[in-house]
Amino acid sequence: MTIVLAVLVLFPLAAVIVQVLLPGIFFGSLNFGEIGLLLELFERPLWRKSLENSLLLGLGTAVLGTLLGTVLAMARMQWKFPGARWLDAAVWVLFIMPSFILAQGWIMFSTGNGLAASVFGWHWVTAAVFQPAGLIVIMTLSKFPLAYLSVKAAMEWKVEMLSDAARLCGASPFKVWRTVQAPLLLPAILSGMALVFMDTIGDFGLPSAVAAVYRFPTLPYSIYSAIYTSPIRFDMAGVLSLYLVALIAVAMLLQFWVLRRSRYDILSGRAVPSVPKPAGRRMTWALAIGNALFLLVVIGIPIGSSIVTSLLKIQTNGLTASNLTLENYASLLSEGSSLLPGLGRSLLIAGSAAVIGLIVGLGASFVLSYSRFRFKRGIETASLISFAVPGVVLGIGYIFVWNQPWLENLGIRLYGKPGILVLAAIAGAIPVITRVMTGAMAKVPESLLDAAQMQGGSLISRIRHILAPLVRGALISAGLAAFGACVFDLAVNSILFPPNFETLPVAIDDAFEDLRFGYASAATVAGGGIVVGIMMILERLLRRKEASA
Amino acid sequence: MKLWKTKSAAMLGLLLLTFTTACGSGASQPTAQASTDAAAAPAATTSTETKATADAKPAAGEEITVYLNDFDAVIGDMFEKKTGYKLNVVVGNGAEIMSRVEAEKGNPQWDVLWIDSMPSVYGLDQKGQLLQDWTPENAGNLKESFEAQVPDDKSYYPTGAHAAGVLVYNTNELSEADAPKSWEDLTKDTYKDLIGTADPAIAAPAYPFVSWFFENKGMEGGQDYFGTMMKNGMRVYPKNPQVAQALTAGEVDVAMLQETNAYSLVNAGEPIEIIWPEEGAPGSVRVAAIQKDTKHAAVAKEFVNFLLDPEVQQQLINEGDESYFEPSAEGVETKEDREQDAKLNIADAAWASEHEAEIKQWFADQAIQ
Repeated sequence: MTIVLAVLVLFPLAAVIVQVLLPGIFFGSLNFGEIGLLLELFERPLWRKSLENSLLLGLGTAVLGTLLGTVLAMARMQWKFPGARWLDAAVWVLFIMPSFILAQGWIMFSTGNGLAASVFGWHWVTAAVFQPAGLIVIMTLSKFPLAYLSVKAAMEWKVEMLSDAARLCGASPFKVWRTVQAPLLLPAILSGMALVFMDTIGDFGLPSAVAAVYRFPTLPYSIYSAIYTSPIRFDMAGVLSLYLVALIAVAMLLQFWVLRRSRYDILSGRAVPSVPKPAGRRMTWALAIGNALFLLVVIGIPIGSSIVTSLLKIQTNGLTASNLTLENYASLLSEGSSLLPGLGRSLLIAGSAAVIGLIVGLGASFVLSYSRFRFKRGIETASLISFAVPGVVLGIGYIFVWNQPWLENLGIRLYGKPGILVLAAIAGAIPVITRVMTGAMAKVPESLLDAAQMQGGSLISRIRHILAPLVRGALISAGLAAFGACVFDLAVNSILFPPNFETLPVAIDDAFEDLRFGYASAATVAGGGIVVGIMMILERLLRRKEASA
Repeated sequence: MKLWKTKSAAMLGLLLLTFTTACGSGASQPTAQASTDAAAAPAATTSTETKATADAKPAAGEEITVYLNDFDAVIGDMFEKKTGYKLNVVVGNGAEIMSRVEAEKGNPQWDVLWIDSMPSVYGLDQKGQLLQDWTPENAGNLKESFEAQVPDDKSYYPTGAHAAGVLVYNTNELSEADAPKSWEDLTKDTYKDLIGTADPAIAAPAYPFVSWFFENKGMEGGQDYFGTMMKNGMRVYPKNPQVAQALTAGEVDVAMLQETNAYSLVNAGEPIEIIWPEEGAPGSVRVAAIQKDTKHAAVAKEFVNFLLDPEVQQQLINEGDESYFEPSAEGVETKEDREQDAKLNIADAAWASEHEAEIKQWFADQAIQ
């Protein structure tokens, strides 16, 4: 397991960092770089500011996003209300959409003569959104799905008797929630929080687009500016990535420290699958309306703007009846369009990555949860790195590692072949999978597995018959999340795609760069719709089987 | 415990390997790719001979890999139709392509680089990565102004030039009288908070744009010029498409925009007017260079020569995606709606390459002002 993780995530990143110290190592020469570069963080104002901004943004979003995601997940699992399924779909949509697309939507909504001001007359929106606090709110509304998925997956099984006992002792429902239910979910909540934090500090697209008005450089911004210059400063990118990794390590240490104080393996023979209960009539309505309003904001604004863009003939003229067209969608299907082949390739890559990633991730989580392997904390941290380090940096690392001439003789020089995209996609999928899985496994006591082992159950059969059924919901969530996220992962794709092998995100970005906004939006909406559709169908099929079992 | 760990790791490794190899031969295109790679291996050993007898016609069906940032939709077919050789195209924005070239330095996968960042290509040549001292047949057709761009060691050839930035404004918001006429006008208070531009620290075409101002006004003069505009609330977007979007969304009324981007907006019917300042617009030269150790030198040369052919340049103007440019060959007509006496100012490649890091760093540091 360690080996696979190392090959996928650590080698490429280590390559980028190693060449800070030994710049020529991948090109056949050995010379020493400047160690001083490591300390330049404290000298260059831009870098220092980037670090501060990234921390501020990461922490703010992690706290708010986790709060939002947790509350939503709990409400969703607790009560039945109309539109609950839509919440699930919305979470997937937000999760898989590239952040720069979400950013475009928010910008179109909130600019001086955007929809907020021109249609609703809310002139305060502009000032409220285009400032650092506004950025944190937008980030929160875009990144909370990670916390939601993590918590929801962990709530699949519950031990009613604990809550019942508390209720019998006279605790109010809120007190039960606060003192029994919420604390039991702590591992999953912290897992979700770690994911939100990492995804936020590693994000380039959203902050850079939204912050154009007031400049808010983050670590990824500084990394991009180091790479997008000539002579290219891979060494600087390496140093800055090292800081990102350090931030993750600190976040993980904090999480271990919090979790060390208690054990959470509460699942026993008395655990029952969670089924949302009917709430009172008034409550149901309140939930349904609240949910609808919430979706209107988090989906309506960013995705709605993309839909509007895809339907306009002339962007400047805005939303009027005479300015509407379906031409952009028609041209998606026309001959010579790169959308369909691109989508096919992306689905293939994402599908394979999700399946292999699930196997690797399940194994890694198993080791992390039940083995006594000494360095497992190290593995856990490593498994998360690919999430926070910008895809471009990882991509460059992949080129360093997989473009070595000697690999050619072995027939495994993967750079320049589609395999490299699968490899990179697996690396991207592993953090999500391991986080969601360890969060869920934390509740499955080792004794259940030990009991099976005593009866002579092999490792495989223990995982198959005991563990997998108990964490099934998490498995499904993790696999789907990995699949969806891979389809639209632009950064890694754009630097690694083999000749003549354009994938969906590359095709969309290409259209965007050529200013075919309508076409690019139509491709995003159509591609995103298809992917979310596939995910919803898969989820339905897999979950239904569970219900009948 | 130990045993199953090693076992499962080994199994996974195996699985991964079989999978990736299976994937490599699964799709039809990569198969062709892989098999030519294999076929290319024996050719590699004879590449020195090929170089010696460069005029010998390579076998038909030979393929080369071209890294480019525009014209990806048309160039492959055009070249194959004319010569019978196949192009493998890798397209990306300027920065992505240059990152790939740099990261592949130990084992380059490209044969020809065709890109509109002349200073960066000049930088590659300084590091000895380009084939030198070769003159294509069609170099004789070059206009004088473009001949001047060919470096002394003949490591790259210009195929055309376009404005890295022209002035554009939203005609719904500004009248013709109120619109800026020259680059200097942009520093006026009238345009406070109304101007948008791409970030030279991130966007590839923005560097040729700003470098001319820095060469022309001196480093300090350049910093003054852009510093004044930034203090005046100029919005800096990551890339040109975002600038264009800001313009159509009404976030800004005036922008400095790459030439083809500007004309595409006009052609899409957006209410945008383009202004070519009298003093000229900073130009960006698209050049083609051959990788020094290419295994397909003969076809690569054929391709560069092909790009200098007046007929080919005419076809790119008529059919290409970045069709608004000044062709480098004599006797080629520009687009009809392109400004007929468009004047381009081109920063010296050596100067621009030398100061690139310094200027880009200055812009990146402005992010915290």
